[in-house]
Amino acid sequence: MEAAKKILTNIKMPFCPGCGHGVCVKSISKSLENLGYRSKDVIIVSDIGCSGLVDPLFTTHTIHGLHGRSPALGVGVTLGLDNPNKKVIVIQGDGGATIGLQHILEAARRNIDMTLVVINNLLYGMTGGQMSGLSTNEFKEYKHSNDDADPYDVVNLAHQSGAAFSIRVNNISNFTDVLEEAIRISGFSLVELSSLCTSHGMKKISEMKHYIVAEEKLTNNRSVGVSIKRNTASLLDKSKILTPQFTSKINDSIGIVIAGSAGGGVQSAAKMLAQAAILSGLYATMKGEYPITVGTGFSVAEVILSKKPIHFTGLENPKVVMVVTEDGWNKVKNRITNSTKVFVDTKVSYNSTFITKDFLKVGGKKGAALSAVSYWIKESGVFPIEALFKVVEDSKYVTSLQKAIKGAEELRELVYADRK
Amino acid sequence: MNTKSSKNVMIDASRIITEALVQSGADVFIGYPITPSNLFYSYSKERFPEFLAGPDEISVLQWMCGYSAAGKIPVTATAFPGLALMTETLNMAYMMELPMVLIITQRLGPSTGSATTGAQGDLKFLDGIISGGFPLPIFSPSNFNDAWTLSNKAVKTAIEFRTPVIILTSKELVMTQRSFNINLLEPLEQINRTPKVVEPPYKPYKAGKDRVPTFYPLGNNEYQTRFNASTHDNDGLIRKGTPESLANTWRLREKLEERINEYSFFELDADDGADDLIVTWGVSADASRDAINLLRKNGKKVSLLIVKTILPISQNIFNIIDSFKTVTFAEENMTGLYKEMIFGKRKNSKVKVATKFGSMLTPSEIEEIVN
Repeated sequence: MEAAKKILTNIKMPFCPGCGHGVCVKSISKSLENLGYRSKDVIIVSDIGCSGLVDPLFTTHTIHGLHGRSPALGVGVTLGLDNPNKKVIVIQGDGGATIGLQHILEAARRNIDMTLVVINNLLYGMTGGQMSGLSTNEFKEYKHSNDDADPYDVVNLAHQSGAAFSIRVNNISNFTDVLEEAIRISGFSLVELSSLCTSHGMKKISEMKHYIVAEEKLTNNRSVGVSIKRNTASLLDKSKILTPQFTSKINDSIGIVIAGSAGGGVQSAAKMLAQAAILSGLYATMKGEYPITVGTGFSVAEVILSKKPIHFTGLENPKVVMVVTEDGWNKVKNRITNSTKVFVDTKVSYNSTFITKDFLKVGGKKGAALSAVSYWIKESGVFPIEALFKVVEDSKYVTSLQKAIKGAEELRELVYADRK
Repeated sequence: MNTKSSKNVMIDASRIITEALVQSGADVFIGYPITPSNLFYSYSKERFPEFLAGPDEISVLQWMCGYSAAGKIPVTATAFPGLALMTETLNMAYMMELPMVLIITQRLGPSTGSATTGAQGDLKFLDGIISGGFPLPIFSPSNFNDAWTLSNKAVKTAIEFRTPVIILTSKELVMTQRSFNINLLEPLEQINRTPKVVEPPYKPYKAGKDRVPTFYPLGNNEYQTRFNASTHDNDGLIRKGTPESLANTWRLREKLEERINEYSFFELDADDGADDLIVTWGVSADASRDAINLLRKNGKKVSLLIVKTILPISQNIFNIIDSFKTVTFAEENMTGLYKEMIFGKRKNSKVKVATKFGSMLTPSEIEEIVN
């Protein structure tokens, strides 16, 4: 009796006369006391509904949440505490179990070390006795409900999801023993307790046996779900430092669009261009655009290079557009104006006002965009091509990247040949 | 110009915000993937001391509430569809007075809209997101420096005011990479969480003059503590309509309104003698900075106000706006949602709006409206 005072307060039960919830609450407190828990070692997580009135009945820590969400709240408390000496008990009704079923399955799937007590009175008591997802067909027939969908077997669902222990108990004289067994389990345990609702359901427990699901007990032998903690390094320290070591000849800013297809190295080429510009003392921005299905369709990147700090990162009228595939061309062709300098692969367009080169041929499918970038750097003299070589030198793909850059050199030689 | 003493990198605001939150003492990132907040998810997986992948947004915020009640600072990042699912639980966190940080990356709506197109369209939803019209601190970074400092302020405000705090960003801010000198970012210290000494008996929702109850986490060995999402008294127990419980709910507003200047941030670039003011926030601030330069270059006297604590609105913001003859609001939405926060929907001869829908608002468009 001394122990009982530690977990249960002296406050009068707030439930209707004859309600089964009082038995459930007393059984929960008794089982905790029998297992030797002190009040500050226990956290009661309560839900909405009649079962949500339990907080003042416990001398433990309590947290009273939303309808059906208490198993998810309990997961957060359990993982947040990360203390096996503390016990999290979640209490909800059959209505809460219905609306928050996903949370029960998730707690079971992760085998979170907590006990969920589902007090099943077959109905929504607080709102007028409506049927829940755990209401049996027999009970629904008794209540003249026109819903004949079979009820969820929450015990079996928790088991199938990986709960260490799940059990349905109908005999109130066994409640305390079963709860003790569940609370002792390491991992997720679910206990479904049958409970009378004398206001909207049956008046006597002897009547209830015709309307409830048979008892069942299921176990899984699994490791307990935990949240892994680790030491991590600063994201800033992991960033590649780009100390200026070259010089650029531009005094203003220049906007560049690079367009190709997904998987063609467009975004990488744009980033390398921006990095090479920073190595040359410029400011740079870079952003990508591609369909939600990132592995197909167009891939477009916008780069701004500037001698002065850049504020606005939008690019209305690019001065330079590089296009290496048809996908890219279709995406950016409307952005080309008379003042745009266009570099395009020979397979994409033959417009005589464009600079048309075999970027795909010399760079390959994945290196064409980089070849185009390299060609433009050399052609414009914006900064030394060595800056781009510097960017790629510590890449794990250094050989193929260097090949793509050097490929552009061959194209330049062809230009010179043409001029001759 | 970049110099050799700079520590230049290519970086985006997602990385800066993530790093700043961890340095400020955030403990765990709990996420559900959604564009354009995915970079937060991937960087947090790499950086946070704890990372959890939730099965849906409701679970994410419920888990965060559990972590917060247990004494941790949780963080998530989402966009409007995820925020919509989180709304009931956000109200719960607010009522329970649980510190946490939510990053919202705005994108073009309605509904799923265009997930990879930026926008500034969630402001009004956020203004009323706490049932009853209660204030919720919302910080909106305008550049990388803000991303760093406001993330720190978000953790600090969440802890000191016991409240969820939102960092409101936009796709273009958090996904665009820029050259940036990370030497400009001062190292951040973890925000102190040591609870104040209280005289027993401890009442979990009893507040002193600062209107913020002392926080003791679930599972602590000193005091029984209770958290409650329903209307509750100072003990944290459900009480419907009692003076104590209603006063406790009213206090949620008071604690944030009375001390608003402690977390109200803005930047005023004042031009002496200017009658015109541009008011902007978030991703439109950079376009406004360029617009100001264009206007001043052409001889126009104009000032710029960049609002960083976007909600609740402090009296300082009203005072600044009132001191100008003409005000132009620059925002990436249909009608100027922040403008409507200040002046309502009714036309006003003093007010102009430079807005854009479906793409970035440009400096020249702002310049044109101001002129």
